Amino acid sequence: MGIDIPKRSYSGAIRTITVGKGEKSFAVGGETAYPFYTFEGEFPNAPRFGLNILDIEPEGWAESLLEVYGDVVKDPAAWAKKCVDDFGADIIQISLQGTDPNDKNLSAEHAVEVVKAVAAAIDVPLSVWGTANIEKDTEVLRAVAEAMDGKRLCIGPVQEANHRQIGAAALAYKHIAVASSPIDINLAKQLNVLLGNLGVTDENILIDPTVGGLGYGLEYSYSVMERARMAALSQQDDRLQFPLYCNLGVEVWKTKESKLPDHENNLGEAKPRGILMEAVTATSLLAAGGDIMIMRHPEAMKLAKQLSKEMLAS
Amino acid sequence: MFRVIAENINVMSKSIGPAMKNREKKPIQDLVAKLVANGSDLLDVNLGPARKAGDELMKWVVETVQEVTDLPLYLDTSNPLAIEAGLKVHKGKAVINSISARPERMDALFPLAKEYNSGAVALVLGTEGIPRDSNERAANAAMLMAQAGEFEIAVEDVWIDPIVVPVSSQQQQVASCTEFIAMLGDMAPGYSNTCGLSNVSNGSPDNLRPLLNQCYLLMLRHAGLTGAILDGLDTDILGIAKGKRPDLEKIVFDVMDGKEVDMGSLKEEELKFAKTTKMLLGQTLYSDSWLDL
Repeated sequence: MGIDIPKRSYSGAIRTITVGKGEKSFAVGGETAYPFYTFEGEFPNAPRFGLNILDIEPEGWAESLLEVYGDVVKDPAAWAKKCVDDFGADIIQISLQGTDPNDKNLSAEHAVEVVKAVAAAIDVPLSVWGTANIEKDTEVLRAVAEAMDGKRLCIGPVQEANHRQIGAAALAYKHIAVASSPIDINLAKQLNVLLGNLGVTDENILIDPTVGGLGYGLEYSYSVMERARMAALSQQDDRLQFPLYCNLGVEVWKTKESKLPDHENNLGEAKPRGILMEAVTATSLLAAGGDIMIMRHPEAMKLAKQLSKEMLAS
Repeated sequence: MFRVIAENINVMSKSIGPAMKNREKKPIQDLVAKLVANGSDLLDVNLGPARKAGDELMKWVVETVQEVTDLPLYLDTSNPLAIEAGLKVHKGKAVINSISARPERMDALFPLAKEYNSGAVALVLGTEGIPRDSNERAANAAMLMAQAGEFEIAVEDVWIDPIVVPVSSQQQQVASCTEFIAMLGDMAPGYSNTCGLSNVSNGSPDNLRPLLNQCYLLMLRHAGLTGAILDGLDTDILGIAKGKRPDLEKIVFDVMDGKEVDMGSLKEEELKFAKTTKMLLGQTLYSDSWLDL
């Protein structure tokens, strides 16, 4: 006797957004059902996985991250190339940590120079990430947007307080605005409304819901993303029908647990611990609807990517 | 008949606070005259925590207010000594604002309500904080109703307060609050009710707060609310409370009842109320720009 599994019907769909330019550009979004509910809808574009590099040599990074990258961390362009050639990253996110006004405070010119060098070294799409300082990001990200005219970079974080300036730059130079809100579905929606009012069109917006790493608020991010997907797919909430961009690597690898030496606090070996913390975080965020996962450890990325692939194939 | 409890006699007010402190009767009595003229049914006397000499202040304010009006007062402070001082001098039936479903509040205040033959606001706040849904509200309300019964307080003197929460941060909870009010007809017939309405718009843009307050008042009235703490100087919201806007009532009630509302045919103000009702019901997700979508 056959069993009919009840199926939900959806009233909305996630928009398809094309990231980057040229042969290795890719589309994300397009889902018509809840994450991995392949029995209820279409998933024309699998989630994409990127690696996160910095514009300056990292300080205080976990041993296993430094070990896997080796010397290239001193040269952002070489670092990015390694991420693509050796580890198969779909996208590179360069975080402009050197521009942090509370630290090295490097200039917008520095940022432009590094971003250009990185872009020249890779053929996959590039995402450029500021320090979340409202004023400095406005200055730096506008300069980068202009210098990279037409390359369809992802540019973020675009926050409510600087959405006009950075949104206008994304609009003028044809990039994608990654709209960043602090783990709050109402604010996420509002920022998308504001970007729309500014003239940023729907094919140029991604949502960064702000994610927490495992043990550090992951469940809040999960809930917000889950609700965003419910509103988008079941309530036809037009302003939330965008792919979700998850900047998770930085969150996982800044935790104490990802850096503690082997066996300290009975936490086992450091290397697999950090990798698994990142892979588990990514897994949860994929299950909540993440479309672009920005990670730090290639092994963790490989695990998450494999899982996503198998889930979509089943 | 809907009862308005005016919220304006408040120690936090820039004009009334100093008058209380300096024991100046005139600003307070002038305000009372306006609130009475605007049709208030009761007046809330809010002294906040009133930790220091709250009892003396409450006694003085109650006497000052009642020199110029016979309206009954809500005695609103977290200091039980100040509540008792107010009850002692209050003429007519006062209302203690409020008794939450926490043992220390119930133990301290229900005996006072009995002793002084006063009413009490039964706030559905429990030991675990703000209830998470309509069922938890109902459970706390049941506990308060039972306690009030033990002290032989008449049901109409128990004013159930559902705890209105801000829609900007807790949209789902707004729907639970509405749902809970709708349950009261069955679970608490004969009881009074009230709410701190303007909390619904806390955190929303200032220019949109009146619309949120007015719309939610209509919605709660449709669900069965019969009293609310309101700005007694805001004639717009007072009009809404007293049923003077049947045009808006029709729109809000129709949306709530799931009737087909032709959004295209509505006037601008009606459209705002229709959109806001849908949003407050949780049919559309809140954002500060809900009216523009």
